[in-house]
Amino acid sequence: MENSVTQDGIASLLSLDSSSVQPQIVVQVVDLKPVGNRYTFNANDGKMKIKAMLPATLTSEIVSGKIQNLGLIRLLHYTANDIPGKSGEKYLLVTKCEAVASALDSEIKSETKASTGIMLKPKQEFVAKSASQIINEQRGNAAPAARMAMTRRVHPLVSLNPYQGSWTIKVRVTNKGVLRTYKNARGEGCVFNVELTDEEGTQIQATMFNAAAKKFYDTFQKGKIYYISRGTLKLANKQFKTVQNDYEMTLNEYSEVEEAGSEEMFIPETKFNFVPIDELGPYVNQKELVDVIGVVQSVSPTMSIRRKSDNEMIPKRDIVLADETKKTVVVSLWSDLATELGQELLDMADKYPVIAIKSLKVGDFQGVSLSTISKSNVVVNPDIPEAAKLKSWYDSEGKETSMSAIGSGMSPSANNGSRSMYSDRVCLSHFTTNPSLGEDKPVFFSTRAYISFIKPDQAMWYRACKSCNKKVTEAMDSGYWCEGCQKKDEECSLRYIMTVKVSDSTGEAWFSAFNDEAEKMIGCTADELNVLKSEEGEGHEFQTKLKEATWSSHLFRVSVSQQEYNSEKRQRITVRGVAPVDFAAETRLLLQDISKNKKTSQ
Amino acid sequence: MDTSSPSAFVNGSLMRRYIGQKVRTVIQVVGSDVGSVVGKSTDDLQIIVKGSPPTTTTPSTYLEVIGIAENENSIRAEVWTNFGNSFDPVNYNELCKLANGEFKHLFI
Repeated sequence: MENSVTQDGIASLLSLDSSSVQPQIVVQVVDLKPVGNRYTFNANDGKMKIKAMLPATLTSEIVSGKIQNLGLIRLLHYTANDIPGKSGEKYLLVTKCEAVASALDSEIKSETKASTGIMLKPKQEFVAKSASQIINEQRGNAAPAARMAMTRRVHPLVSLNPYQGSWTIKVRVTNKGVLRTYKNARGEGCVFNVELTDEEGTQIQATMFNAAAKKFYDTFQKGKIYYISRGTLKLANKQFKTVQNDYEMTLNEYSEVEEAGSEEMFIPETKFNFVPIDELGPYVNQKELVDVIGVVQSVSPTMSIRRKSDNEMIPKRDIVLADETKKTVVVSLWSDLATELGQELLDMADKYPVIAIKSLKVGDFQGVSLSTISKSNVVVNPDIPEAAKLKSWYDSEGKETSMSAIGSGMSPSANNGSRSMYSDRVCLSHFTTNPSLGEDKPVFFSTRAYISFIKPDQAMWYRACKSCNKKVTEAMDSGYWCEGCQKKDEECSLRYIMTVKVSDSTGEAWFSAFNDEAEKMIGCTADELNVLKSEEGEGHEFQTKLKEATWSSHLFRVSVSQQEYNSEKRQRITVRGVAPVDFAAETRLLLQDISKNKKTSQ
Repeated sequence: MDTSSPSAFVNGSLMRRYIGQKVRTVIQVVGSDVGSVVGKSTDDLQIIVKGSPPTTTTPSTYLEVIGIAENENSIRAEVWTNFGNSFDPVNYNELCKLANGEFKHLFI
């Protein structure tokens, strides 16, 4: 067990060129501090110090105390990069390291004790030893073919960053998108992207445009392994993030893509991040995908659903999963997963298999529901500890216990609505003083306000299909045609779509409201209001109804986003929920505010 | 608005500051006698209210009482208002503290 640093470790690391293999060095961590979700520190070897950075993946080791300030770590994989803007000075990007010793009493200075651990050996010997060390560690009894990969210095995906020029990665294409054409202000083009996974399980999305897209579209095949170099990295666009990576890659015509012949790459165990069934609530209707693991309680027969966009029939099968939280959830399997995997599961249903599914969409059908998408990945009876635990739980107690469906306690409007009327509470001035709220993705708030004005001559409703609620068009003869359902109906229903002005003591704003929320605000359905509006005689009842709704106060749950109107960005506030004001609860909020203001002004 | 005889918001412990003056408070009815009602103030002290209460003085109803504070735990009532059964005494108590403390200038 080492109790000191590698002598002259930093000097030897800096004098390496990029083609020789890295020595493993022990350094002391000093000045450890968080920057965003990563940590930076100075690596100290007793003689020299160099700035260093640890990736976000190691943050948990620091937080748990394995890597400590003034402690020793062994650097296993790292790159020395120039600090942009400061020529000559380098910093270490550590991608792999292990804790060696916990915090020492102080920084190690020049008069180091004789280390009993790694002794500094002549450079060549050291390098040779490390090369075989690395190969043995990483490959075990490697076949000659595998060693060939070492001659091409392969970088782990986690080490890539926009400031490092030349790298080569070895990755498997775990997903391939379709080649899409687009038209924008600059002209036409085509684009497609691929999802790449390396041996460590890190994933990144790579996009190709135009010439590069055409060049590589046929080269990349899902499931095959490639060496890729000369791509560029940039920060990922949060709106379109599909994989967990701060960066995304772009390949152009000069990028190099070479299929990794007959070499086998160890397929990393699919990295799952399971969400227990009873914790699925917050993910409902969010963009974030979830992974689940559970025992299959039942499998439905295959159903055929018509896809609204192109009228194609798609097979679907529903299965019910249960887990140790004693809750069940319905998972809809689509297309191939429904037909092939679904049949497999049906055949073994009496054995109650455990399945793990990656990348599921969470919907609100019956409260909470899960749905597979094209990149969902299902593993039956996976060889992981969670599966074993689940199986033994189910065999011993799970089979007998009565479980409840996760959706049953959770109607989206009732529970969630009222609970979220008190979180993220703001005044209307928050919207007026922050015009660019919701620029990236919509932000949610709750607020208490009075409806101050409903314009009587706005288009308050649209004609909607009675089955799917989408807008219908008037048919030539009579009746209404629904594009989505591909059928005509003699009647349609009217559904609200309106803007109302709201006010509170801090300001005013315009809210957009759809049917369910507007109904709560007006107090009657759009169909009923339409009857009042078109009534003969006084015609005042319509006006009265609107008047009654005005100057009533409500609790609103709203989402704020940015919309473009003639190349101008405008704030759009949409009502997601309406609830009556609970005066006692509001008073408590006010009291809290008062005591908070007192504290800050003291 | 008639501001000729303002009444201070009090709870049980604040009454002593306003002996002989007009006060208002909310009590939860504990029991009633001929000519008086015994109630619990929002800070859990006993208050006796003299006068003729409205018909509904069932225990656990909340009543607002405006009148002259005779001593630190009794009021000679002039106005009674039934506040019903769902009333949050904690909120009212905080109001009394604030109205007699740092925000006194906003009230009397």
